[in-house]
Amino acid sequence: MNPAFAYIYDEFLADRRFERDLAFLETEVARRGIEGRIVRLAMFRQPKDIIRDLVNANVKNIIFVGNDLTLEKMMWFLPDVDATFGFLPVMPGSMIAGMLDIPNGAEAVNTLAARLIEWFDVGKINERYFFTEAVLPNTQASVDVEGQYRISPAHGGAIAIRNLAGISGQPGAAHPQDGRLEIVIQTKVRENGMKFWQKSVLSESHVFLTHGAIQSEKSVEVIVDGQPLHGAHFSLSIVPHKIRLITGKQKGWEPPREKKEVVPLARVTIS
Amino acid sequence: MFNPKTGTEGHGGGTTIIAQGVKVEGEFSSQSDVVVEGEVHGTFATTGLLTVTAEAKIKADVTAGEAVVSGTVEGNLVVHRRLDVKATAKIMGDVSAETVSVEAGAVLAGRVSIGIKGAIVEKPTLSSRRERAAAAAALVTNER
Repeated sequence: MNPAFAYIYDEFLADRRFERDLAFLETEVARRGIEGRIVRLAMFRQPKDIIRDLVNANVKNIIFVGNDLTLEKMMWFLPDVDATFGFLPVMPGSMIAGMLDIPNGAEAVNTLAARLIEWFDVGKINERYFFTEAVLPNTQASVDVEGQYRISPAHGGAIAIRNLAGISGQPGAAHPQDGRLEIVIQTKVRENGMKFWQKSVLSESHVFLTHGAIQSEKSVEVIVDGQPLHGAHFSLSIVPHKIRLITGKQKGWEPPREKKEVVPLARVTIS
Repeated sequence: MFNPKTGTEGHGGGTTIIAQGVKVEGEFSSQSDVVVEGEVHGTFATTGLLTVTAEAKIKADVTAGEAVVSGTVEGNLVVHRRLDVKATAKIMGDVSAETVSVEAGAVLAGRVSIGIKGAIVEKPTLSSRRERAAAAAALVTNER
């Protein structure tokens, strides 16, 4: 067993249908020499305490096994923990794994074993960290950007404050290593043309900020990394290079690496 | 929840977009390219390319590196390099740029200064199509 590694299994993995997948995963991990202590999340065990105990036991790499929620529900405290974090998604469709170029299931072990470690920014809403985004699904709230101007949907809409893009799936947006957050506002607007045939389409605004605030006259619900938060005023900021993650090479926000054409060398003939 | 299907086309990272149905109030400033489709009130400055679409309404003094204007700007417009004024544009304010192109049909109500930085050359005021037609008619009358 490698004492520098520990694996945290989400609670839902106790279901028998994951037994085979986990056994295969454990075999792959052992084959690579990165097997470690396994800790299972359970109802009465605080994840923060589990991780604190692991760090005190000199574990350097903590790997979360589960889905996006497994990682998201830990994110509010992970950036303050002195360790490197990895992610083994057990089901397809993980947005975070997709963005970090981590394949699904046993193939993810290859990425883990390669140990390409990078620093990532985290967002902060009030005093709570977030890694992906904070979303106000349907709101009249406005966002104060760096104390300079205020942006708001004129007749209501959805607002997302993103660190790591993914939900709208647009490449190039919300780079989690650029030292800023991205505000995305979606509103419904009428298409130009004759009134009878006018259709509603969604328009999308993109603005960037390093700090700011969400302001609302009434108390609103903000979904932060999948967890609800309530209030009328939320401060926003970005904490650059705050968390270490094991990633793949082709991250979702980077342009695809173009295949270079192979130019034949002069005076060389390949038979 | 947030809808993944958007009405706007995909865009590259870093471009600021103020889309239709969104309002900006205050002192907007940016170092990147900016597309304005919605409403802006206050002051507006960018060092990059500013694109004001036909639906946009800006009530602000505007400074930009380059600009393509198809919408409405109520305020002075200072462009450090090239300004393209499209046929649907309405600019109510003074305009200053290194080079300017104006399509037929554009409305420009204000003084226009065109020239190299530090050597601005005053040009006659351009005005709306109607005003220009009136001026031409007056010229014909005087010649008679």
